[in-house]
Amino acid sequence: MPGEVWVYAECRDGRLMDVSIELLGGGRRLADKAKASLASIILTDNVGSLANELISYGADKVYVVEHPLLKTYQSDLYTDALSEAVSKYNPEILLIGATSIGMDLAPRVAARLKTGLSAHVVGLDIDEYGILKQVVPGFGGGVMAVVTCPKARPQMATVRPGVLPKSEKTDRRGEIIAVDVKISEDRIKAKTLKIIEEKPLGKPLEEAEIVVGVGLGGCKPDTFNLIKELAETLGAAIGGTRPAVDEGYITENQMIGQSGKTVRPKIHIALGASGAMQYMVGVMDSKTIVAVNKDPNAPIFKMCDIGIVGDLNDVLPILIEEIKQLRKT
Amino acid sequence: MNIIVCIKQVPDPREFSKITIDPVRKTIVREGIQAVINPLDRHALEEALRIREKYGGKVTVVSMGPPQALEACKEALAFGADEAVLLCDKLLAGSDTLATAYALSKAIRRLKPYNLILCGNETVDGSTGQVPPQLAEFLELPHVTRVRRIELVDDGKAIVESVLEHGCRVVEVKLPAVLAVVKEINTPRILSVFGIVAAASKKIIQWSVSDIEADIGMIGLEGSPTRVTDVFTPEIKRRCEIFKGPVEDAVKQAVRRLREIGAF
Amino acid sequence: MPFDFTFTPEQEMLRKAAMEFAERDVAPKVEWMDETGETPTELVKKMMELGFGAIVIPREYGGAGLGHIARIAVLEEISRISPALGFCLQIVHLGQAPVIYFGSEEQKKKWLPGMAKGELIATCAVTEPTGGSDVLGIQTTAKREGEHYVLNGRKCFITNVHISNMHGVLAKTGEGPKGLSFFMIEPNTPGVKPGRRENKSGLRGLNTGELILENVRVPRENMIGGEGDGLRVALTAISNIGRPGVNGVALGIVRRCLEEAAKYSKQRALYGKPISELQAIQWYLAEMYVDYETTRLLTYYAAWLRDKGARCDAENAAGKYYSVEAAVRCAHRLIQIFGGYGVMKEIIPQRLLRDAEVLCPAAGTQEIMKLVMFRKALEYSK
Repeated sequence: MPGEVWVYAECRDGRLMDVSIELLGGGRRLADKAKASLASIILTDNVGSLANELISYGADKVYVVEHPLLKTYQSDLYTDALSEAVSKYNPEILLIGATSIGMDLAPRVAARLKTGLSAHVVGLDIDEYGILKQVVPGFGGGVMAVVTCPKARPQMATVRPGVLPKSEKTDRRGEIIAVDVKISEDRIKAKTLKIIEEKPLGKPLEEAEIVVGVGLGGCKPDTFNLIKELAETLGAAIGGTRPAVDEGYITENQMIGQSGKTVRPKIHIALGASGAMQYMVGVMDSKTIVAVNKDPNAPIFKMCDIGIVGDLNDVLPILIEEIKQLRKT
Repeated sequence: MNIIVCIKQVPDPREFSKITIDPVRKTIVREGIQAVINPLDRHALEEALRIREKYGGKVTVVSMGPPQALEACKEALAFGADEAVLLCDKLLAGSDTLATAYALSKAIRRLKPYNLILCGNETVDGSTGQVPPQLAEFLELPHVTRVRRIELVDDGKAIVESVLEHGCRVVEVKLPAVLAVVKEINTPRILSVFGIVAAASKKIIQWSVSDIEADIGMIGLEGSPTRVTDVFTPEIKRRCEIFKGPVEDAVKQAVRRLREIGAF
Repeated sequence: MPFDFTFTPEQEMLRKAAMEFAERDVAPKVEWMDETGETPTELVKKMMELGFGAIVIPREYGGAGLGHIARIAVLEEISRISPALGFCLQIVHLGQAPVIYFGSEEQKKKWLPGMAKGELIATCAVTEPTGGSDVLGIQTTAKREGEHYVLNGRKCFITNVHISNMHGVLAKTGEGPKGLSFFMIEPNTPGVKPGRRENKSGLRGLNTGELILENVRVPRENMIGGEGDGLRVALTAISNIGRPGVNGVALGIVRRCLEEAAKYSKQRALYGKPISELQAIQWYLAEMYVDYETTRLLTYYAAWLRDKGARCDAENAAGKYYSVEAAVRCAHRLIQIFGGYGVMKEIIPQRLLRDAEVLCPAAGTQEIMKLVMFRKALEYSK
């Protein structure tokens, strides 16, 4: 493939977003398969060591657009800069992380370049003709479609965070190219004034991305404290079974299941729950179900994705520590 | 304030489990499934109605769709929109987001002057969220996505809040602009009997491709750079990967596995 | 092709509005209503704001004039979530009926616009301890005194008594069937006292109570029709609005039973598979499906006749009779399907049964329905 595989490197507060590192990991695989080089493009006010970092994560080249006005995301300027850079260097493929900013930027760039874009890609592959096969979810995830962009270039896709594998840091060498594009303040019509950080409000159970479910096995004071700590570490909402309500550890409002709530989180972690149908019907639509139970024959182990056999009091402290370690990286 | 609201008729999300795929044509079978106004578009319409209530003006609803989308237009009028425009033409079939944004932009240009264009941030079927920014590009207007709050400074400027992963971005945007709203922005009103009665005397305008003077090469299948090559239902089978043995190892392996499958 | 079973776009929109209102605003209050028996007055207000009170009032008097099919659709959707609130709404319509069908032009102009907005809510107070089915047994009197009638008496089992500001009262101005007259008592009339609130086993949250009338002076102009017309006014109102209203509420209950049964049987697993694969449960579901389709057809058919302007007392009675029996049957079946859970207070089946049972004596007992239907049945002898 003559052109390059480009990965848009998003950074906030001078730090590379995880998704960009994932895109490099996935991008590397695609570039190798297509026998093309992998490049990253970064728009920033001060590139510092970021270009080198991108190279260490796998980029053969890093295109840098540096300008003080690019300090915070400005849709007009970023669209201008990215589109112009693409027009100059004509990459084959452009991958952008499907973050809130990525989803604001990518469509406009695609429209500027009159090229095809697919959204929230959950699977990527490239065929022998260099055509990018993009797997996208629709209808709430109930239907999958495979999308391609046969003619227009670059083939663009926004990729969901957590889908592609993060690349490992290596001792690579690469090229850093300063890109000269037109950036002018009078192009700004939607001006980012400031960014406000907000603590995530406790979401109602039905809307939480991570739900921890308390079963009878978790209904002891010390164990429940560990469960609360796990939930806090994950930013998870707490729900549970009818026995947990009866034992007084959760309220009626937190009950999940047949006569309680239905949840559809990205992750459901069932702690000390046997897997009774009355409970499971409330969590069936979770994307990933994790179960911890000390009984290896508990029915829930046939209805989960990842199961850990063990006593909650032993498992939870280690689990909490592992997650804290993950959060740091 | 002259406000344009883009709406799309979509299958009712509550009936998604009934959706099947035609294995031969590789298309979605939508027959027999109730159609509704895309939920986020309701929020956009609600915001438009509130702005009109506060500042006066006109709310025009624009939709691109098959003849069935007339129902959605009628419903929008029943909610309180002043006028509805349905862009309906066989030549528009097969449009991806770029072609759709182009066609909508041609229709909207015919509705000048306008101060504000509101859209739902994404639809429940495709969920791409791509049309509003692309529409803005074709209209040569600024855009902001994921808007949860709009404060009009005057009819030339607004301050909006755009939702980020852990907070928000405060944006000062020149009007006219395209703003794509999220559900936090408001609670949409429920249809009222009086609104339904009033809708009967309001106009729905229907436009074809020639009415909007669209370039044939930019619409429909021909104007769509993307192609759908396959459609399938994903299998939801639980992995049932169980980790036993010494607790510390089991937990560490489980967590690693969760990272590998993209859960963590 | 006259047998058209489709709804108009307006009827569909109205149904959607009612469904959203019920699911979004009413559903969170249902448990509280059942537990406390309290009436959610904010929800009543919301229903009036959405215009549900204006459905059958003609357009020229400020109403929506959308007809009876539309009315049933709204009652069905609200009752699917809360039969108690659905019944409350249907009685709001009943209170308007005497004015709509028999009111003079002045009376219509005076009250219907306010009723359409929900600013005026009237009861239809007929029943007394001495006369419900036997309506001639009532003892409330209306004595003529110059330009007024003075009403004295006590009505019982009156719905919406404590949330209404007007009362439509059937009273004796003479003896026998021609001795009854109907009066509209306006807001803030002295002597009108809502009495005790009833504590019902079902439709809890529906306000039912006594109405006490002590020397209530009602101007002559407030009599609907003339002296002696009362029986006709009351029975027409009940037949044309009251009975179909019960029908609509029962339809909501039947539908809810079918939905809950279908959902539960797919989820509940016994013997290693969902109970929907057990024949006993399959037959229950099939029976409930037939009950739902029949109830639906009878209900909307009667409403269609009404919208056409055709006489349909027998059809209304048949609808009320059948739909209530079906609601009780389906709720009972639902309890069987849920097993032990079926009779737990925090799960829905037992509430649906209690709600359905309370519908039995509403707008006339099931036995009275049979008397009405009998007359029609006998016509087939010709």
